[in-house]
Amino acid sequence: MALLSKAAVLLGKELRTEFRSRELLTTTVVFILTIVVLFSFTFDPSVSESRRFGPGLLWLAFLFAASLMLQPCFLREQTNDTLGALRLSVSDPFAIFLAKLAANTLFLLFTQVLLLPVFSILYNVPVLAAFPQLVLVMFMGSLGLSVTGTALSAISAQARMRELLLPLLLLPLLTPVLIASTEATAALLIPNPAMRWDWLGFLLGFDVVFLTALWLFGEYLLEE
Amino acid sequence: MKKKILIAAVVVILMSFAAYAALLIAPTESKMGPIQRIFYLHAPAGMVSLLCFFVCFVGNFAYTLKRESKWDCLGVSAAEVGVAFCTVNIITGPIWAHPVWGIWWTWDWRLTLTFVLWLLYISYLLLRTLVEDPDRRALVSAIYGIFAFLDVPLVYGSIRWWRTQHPQPVIMGGSGSGLEPTMAKVFWFWFFNLVILMVFLVRERYRLEAMRGEVQLIEREAEAA
Amino acid sequence: MKEHFWSVFWAYMIGWGVFFFYYVTVARRTAALGEQIERLKNSLNRGK
Repeated sequence: MALLSKAAVLLGKELRTEFRSRELLTTTVVFILTIVVLFSFTFDPSVSESRRFGPGLLWLAFLFAASLMLQPCFLREQTNDTLGALRLSVSDPFAIFLAKLAANTLFLLFTQVLLLPVFSILYNVPVLAAFPQLVLVMFMGSLGLSVTGTALSAISAQARMRELLLPLLLLPLLTPVLIASTEATAALLIPNPAMRWDWLGFLLGFDVVFLTALWLFGEYLLEE
Repeated sequence: MKKKILIAAVVVILMSFAAYAALLIAPTESKMGPIQRIFYLHAPAGMVSLLCFFVCFVGNFAYTLKRESKWDCLGVSAAEVGVAFCTVNIITGPIWAHPVWGIWWTWDWRLTLTFVLWLLYISYLLLRTLVEDPDRRALVSAIYGIFAFLDVPLVYGSIRWWRTQHPQPVIMGGSGSGLEPTMAKVFWFWFFNLVILMVFLVRERYRLEAMRGEVQLIEREAEAA
Repeated sequence: MKEHFWSVFWAYMIGWGVFFFYYVTVARRTAALGEQIERLKNSLNRGK
């Protein structure tokens, strides 16, 4: 319980920092929007084609956006040298990870929910019929992205060429997330939307595995 | 030094005999013809690369707990050798596939999985080159290695599941299914050979990594003096 | 038949080539490091 309350305090700090400047969210939204527009040139964006390629396109855009958005997560602490202070004030380092990954999940989910209607209008794919289910899939997907992404952001922050390194480390690791969330999203965008609980369960499994790994090994990443 | 030459000689002799076995002793496969002989190199190389990645995981895991540089050396050696075996597997695959399927590559689950694995461990090796401090490098890459290895069953599961729901590409019955006895013998002989080759290469690579540590030690000494 | 023979031939050649090339790079890196160690040791001794 102490862990959760500490994480909640830190989460509040993360959210306040972001909403003061809104830098990260604005940049990410514009970035995804750009990719979505650019994708329209690569295939014929008719309704049937969009249904076929849309989900994959959307998730690929989210994956790329996440790999850029997670960059400053630990880098910011490093440049301001606040990580040491943070670690001293929190007894369990997992709370730091928990707060950061919760914040990243919320940011990602926010951009996804914001961009879903835009995508729907641009590509003529109705999303309202299964909106709550879509949000659930996006939540599980974002959680998977954030859990691995937060951990790898702590890794890449300690390396050279970190801007390039994070996507390189993160994207192959996210193969299961990409497949599962694309399939689940695709099933929700067809004329008779159906919830693919099997893929959702798979996403849950991914989230649990890496959350556990982060809980077990994360603290080593914050050592001096 | 003498030991090394001895092992190298044994490896070369075994490999030559293995080639003889694969090309001349093993019977010609009835459906695919002689092209199937690539199998004796292709499949065991893939299996040995998985073995390497497992050894790498063991090294990574032990390093995070014990912080002894020997485990880090083992991790990087196994990963590099694993990538070499995986590369052989990926290159020989299309050479086999082209005459049999008429295409070089198909996004079949096995091919896709191997490719993703290859990418994961290339990233692991790349990460190592980009972290300066040796202790940092060992720790950070060990944790990435653990993450990568945990990802393997998940990648396998998702690709397998996803591909079986889609139209399957034309593929002959699984590689292990109903191997003719002589073929099976040649196959396991190859596997055994490649494991010896792997041990030899990992040992050599391990020695190199240990020497790097030595250089650092001497340099530190020089700075102190 | 003949075409397949060359496919098999090249597959094995490339396979061994990769292993051999990998071994050579390891051996070369090891040799270079060995020299460096010698040099460092020598310069250290001279310093004393």
